[in-house]
Amino acid sequence: MTEADDARFRRPRGRELVVASGYLAAGAVYVLIGVAFVDFLFSVFVAMAYLLIVAWLVPLVVRRLL
Amino acid sequence: MSWAAHDLEPYAIQRHTRWKIAFVPLLLGSYAPDMMTKWFVYGIHLGPWDLKASNPAQFHRGWPGFGFTHSLIYGVAIGLVFWKGFGSKLWGISFMIGEWAHALTDTGDTVGTMLLFPWTFHFHFGAWAYAGQTGRLTDAAAYFSGLGGMWDLVWIVYGLFSWRVLTRSYFERHVYSVDRSWSFANRAVPLGALLVLYRAAFFYGTSRWIAWTIWAHVVHHYPYDLSWGGPHWVHAEHP
Repeated sequence: MTEADDARFRRPRGRELVVASGYLAAGAVYVLIGVAFVDFLFSVFVAMAYLLIVAWLVPLVVRRLL
Repeated sequence: MSWAAHDLEPYAIQRHTRWKIAFVPLLLGSYAPDMMTKWFVYGIHLGPWDLKASNPAQFHRGWPGFGFTHSLIYGVAIGLVFWKGFGSKLWGISFMIGEWAHALTDTGDTVGTMLLFPWTFHFHFGAWAYAGQTGRLTDAAAYFSGLGGMWDLVWIVYGLFSWRVLTRSYFERHVYSVDRSWSFANRAVPLGALLVLYRAAFFYGTSRWIAWTIWAHVVHHYPYDLSWGGPHWVHAEHP
């Protein structure tokens, strides 16, 4: 499988949609915080930390608890 | 000046370049020209001191100033440091390509960049207003009201169309495997966290584009002006 094949467009399905909806939800919250407190929008490092918490750490903790 | 384009272009470059490219230095190169300069363009408060360039556009893009950070030769110089100094040709070339993408993209505004520094001519298309001198909020409002914001939107739409570059399998096959720095980081950080960090610049570029657009046009009602060189309600700097 070449890089071009792996990147070619197709509709997301199954688990891909679940992952995408998680990021969409994280994005919606990020946008809400950002519109309310614009300083939040100025740093890529803040965005990285935010995403690491909501898209990796929180799901990890939830999985461990369940 | 561009906002989200510098976050999103590296994903497209990674996808389409036929050479082996490392994503981390590519992204670093895409951010590098503004890393050294933008804080002083907008100004910061440090205790009792207000630090801000007296002529932000000149400082950011000009000479004398730090405009050389937006030139092709700057990418070559830092790329050579990675290659000859740290022994990684892959990082050197990847950084250089990222930096070149930034320097080329910023030719879109009214100030442009000294691409061929030490020749101090500013290459500029003048498609959107350079308004960094007005401060970061007015600059954001202006940028997301003109063609600059639309240019970012092109990259967002393109990125969504290329969504598979953000998948775990693509990351493992074509990003993680070509650059040893990922496996080095993986000694301390789990793969799932590295994947999230790989996706972060795309997330940041897209989310902040939406947030600034809402802030500028829903919360504050700045008018759109998609004419060439606009928005014309803000004073645009020129070289």
